[in-house]
Amino acid sequence: MAFLDLGGLRRHVQRLAPQDGGPPAATVVLVHGLLTDSLASYYFTLGPALATAGLDVLMYDQRGHGRTARPATGYRLEHFVDDLAALLDGLDLTGPVHLVGNSFGGTVAFGLAARRPARVASILAIESEPASRSWAAKLDGILRHAEHELVRETTLAWVAEQRGAHTARLARSAGRLLAQTSLAREIPASRLPGGAELRSISCPVLAVYGTDSDLAHQAAWLDGLLPDCRTTFVPGQEHSVLVEAPYTVRKLTLSWLHECGVRLREPAHAPLPTGRELEDSAR
Amino acid sequence: MTTSQHTVNHRPPTDQEVLREITGMLAAVLDEYGLADTEVTMATRFTEDLELESIDLVTLSGRLQERWGDHINFAEFIAGMELDEIIGLTVGRLVDYVVNQLQNAARG
Repeated sequence: MAFLDLGGLRRHVQRLAPQDGGPPAATVVLVHGLLTDSLASYYFTLGPALATAGLDVLMYDQRGHGRTARPATGYRLEHFVDDLAALLDGLDLTGPVHLVGNSFGGTVAFGLAARRPARVASILAIESEPASRSWAAKLDGILRHAEHELVRETTLAWVAEQRGAHTARLARSAGRLLAQTSLAREIPASRLPGGAELRSISCPVLAVYGTDSDLAHQAAWLDGLLPDCRTTFVPGQEHSVLVEAPYTVRKLTLSWLHECGVRLREPAHAPLPTGRELEDSAR
Repeated sequence: MTTSQHTVNHRPPTDQEVLREITGMLAAVLDEYGLADTEVTMATRFTEDLELESIDLVTLSGRLQERWGDHINFAEFIAGMELDEIIGLTVGRLVDYVVNQLQNAARG
């Protein structure tokens, strides 16, 4: 499967069935972040490992991103949450699903859980937070800056030098997304869930942060806010935990799903080589 | 357009044939930018030389599967690789994988 037309939007979807051909132990939906992100971040990290563990794995490009259509407007958080809900409905995934959200993808996951609690079995939020007034203000600053910088050749050359050609190419794509759409102005204007709405997120939540990330201080706030939430830290990591420490994220995700009662299938549930993970997460 | 017939009943394609087909797929994946004058060889790197984004590799993976069916599973192929390795991936390594898979399929 590659493309699905739902709600007037052509979406790029990749779904991996359990690798052993057996019935899925559960469905997990992987939600990517803003701008430079796409379903590729999961396709090349977490997705295949989850399919090996016997899960039905659903990955999709959010509106404007990857190979999903890019309307000029319609980029408030609620549009992204609508998209996720429409995708689950469109694929007849009526039972609760496990959500993994990276950065803004986690914000979308929290948005769905606040709106339709019965659809969400658990949330694993990587470097993420629910939408709030301070979230909107921060995103406003980041997006204004990105909109200005990511179309400048000097900035892109600097990115290429510091972070390599691939990151520079992603940055250039992000610049195009911001230039072609009203995303930068709409995200900060999103409807924000109230405190009561957030406290109603009753599914188990695991929030993962890099110890060196700007978001790490969110952990205590989130722990206190949500009824069933715990946080964990990946040492030596900043915001890009998912792509920089894929082994650690894989291990965390599998043990999290196991903890949530998903019966993972061998051999993926067997312990991964911890030496490599530690080395990887410390890089 | 399945090709199990092609892969099972006929001789599996050679390196050069697979390279030619993958070059065609790359031109389609990169249609917005085109391959320009870049010559695709076994040593060409997907991201460094062709400037493919990771999402383009996902698209390529879909085309591989359309062409050669379930014998070719790109997600599985790259599952054991680290991200740096995926970014440094050469066309040749993918060609080798495809040829191997199709030879195994032909042997049944």
